[in-house]
Amino acid sequence: MRRILHLAITEARIELRERYALSGLILYVLAAAFIVFSIWRELPPKEWGLTFWIVFLFCALMAVVRSFDKESESRYYYFYTLYHPHELFGAKVIYNFLLLLSIFLLLWFVLGMMAGNPVFRFGWFLAMGVMASIGLSFLLTFISSIAIKAHQNAALTSILALPLLIPILLSTLRLNAYALGIPPDDNPWNEMAMLSAMICLVTGMSLWLFPYLWRS
Amino acid sequence: MTQSSTDGQPFYRLAPWKWLTVAILLYSFIAGWFVPLHEGIIEVSPGQETAGSLIEISVTGYNTHYTSDPAPIRAWLRLMGDTVIEARHIDRMNDRELKARFYIPSVFPFRQDAYPMSLIVDHHGHGPAVLPNAIFLKPATEQDISEVGLWYEDKIDEIALKKDFRFPFRNILLETIRNTYFHVPLWFAMIILFGCSAWYSIKYYRTGNILYDVKTMSLINTGILFGVLGLVTGMIWAKYTWGAWWSWDVKQNMSAIALLIYAALIVLRGSLGDEMQRARLTAGYNMFAFILLIPLLFIIPRMTDSLHPGNGGNPALGGEDLDNTMRLVFYPAVIGFILLGLWISELTYRLEKVKQHVEVE
Repeated sequence: MRRILHLAITEARIELRERYALSGLILYVLAAAFIVFSIWRELPPKEWGLTFWIVFLFCALMAVVRSFDKESESRYYYFYTLYHPHELFGAKVIYNFLLLLSIFLLLWFVLGMMAGNPVFRFGWFLAMGVMASIGLSFLLTFISSIAIKAHQNAALTSILALPLLIPILLSTLRLNAYALGIPPDDNPWNEMAMLSAMICLVTGMSLWLFPYLWRS
Repeated sequence: MTQSSTDGQPFYRLAPWKWLTVAILLYSFIAGWFVPLHEGIIEVSPGQETAGSLIEISVTGYNTHYTSDPAPIRAWLRLMGDTVIEARHIDRMNDRELKARFYIPSVFPFRQDAYPMSLIVDHHGHGPAVLPNAIFLKPATEQDISEVGLWYEDKIDEIALKKDFRFPFRNILLETIRNTYFHVPLWFAMIILFGCSAWYSIKYYRTGNILYDVKTMSLINTGILFGVLGLVTGMIWAKYTWGAWWSWDVKQNMSAIALLIYAALIVLRGSLGDEMQRARLTAGYNMFAFILLIPLLFIIPRMTDSLHPGNGGNPALGGEDLDNTMRLVFYPAVIGFILLGLWISELTYRLEKVKQHVEVE
């Protein structure tokens, strides 16, 4: 575990050193939010939620796609000799999770400033942000580790990941309606259980398969 | 190069299960297309009448023989349960048309703004035909309380259900009910094919034998073909029953997404050069995809409203939509399409194997 954290911190430090990448991402988030809201101006809660998650999804794709990109071929071999694939994968996932969570908070802040904040149940919305970040970071990290092998990372990650993301995304959107207080105000625990089950599925599968795919 | 077992042999030396497939599919296609539907009622006019008077309605039948068979015809308007009014007089216009006269009492057993009535027509020896909500009755302006007894005088009796090999008549479905034997088995077969491909992916994962990868891909290709056909038959069906080719129903969306997942797999393979790497990534992605396919196709549609049977509270494969006659065709069709899928995959697998051998030499 300490090795994983260490690796994640290294990752973050490399990322912070190349400041342009991270600031590019923040700019992407801001620009996307700005474009969307200068088109819409006034957003009722339902549309607010939908727009929020769509912008979040694409920012997440942007962010995670690069997770294996910056590694050079030789650094792979270096990591391969040094760490177990699980450790490497865990570090990437933790780093991506924190990245997604900060994108989530940033986006929430920006949209809240620009278009008002219709969030009705703060705890639920935050919980969903955490859940979605966990699910997306596992899934996208796994998929981008497949896509990197094909050397067309960005396009292929979107093609491979988007259809697989949809169950998680739909579930999140339905919980989102609850957090925003959009009727019908159903009992959300069923949906929450469903989302957690899917995230467990994605986590289990990616942990099982990653070492195997990493081997080449 | 390995010698294919059927090389130079006459075509009838097929494996027995292939002959079985041919027989089952022939049976389900012939039965599915040509077995006629039961008698039914398509339309009643006028759709609205006022109670407390003698009304005449004209009934348009389907597959009926009103004039060619002189057996007695009786008709009832049903309010609920045993509360019915029998027709006083019935005229046969032609094989497809009846004119029935009813006296509707001016008082109803309970109070409502309008009363939807089902029409039941029994042509003796042909079995009954029912049209729910055939006519709406408005309450009479002058009500005679003593007439309420009329509702309980008539009874629906002596209806012999005809036992012959015919598919049920359903009001919106009509002849499209036959699509049950093609649309549904295609999806069943697709799931089985994708399941088998995931199984061979696991085998590849365990052994690393490249032949398992070839098997996986031939199963996936056939599965995609079946999925596309299932989607197309479903769209045709939707056009005639839901009114549009694509109505953004959750089941339609999820099945389209399921196909997108496998299309993405094909794209992934296309962008990889190295054979072993391609096989390994395929196996990994395929197992991942199949696991996510299950919530996509079977759990999510059940949790939202849907027009599709089996979702959002609609029943599927039960109740009135699949009676015993249909089961006699439906279950063989399911088995037939699954076997056909496996057969096609086997052929593409052998073809691919031969091609690869040729490339090596």
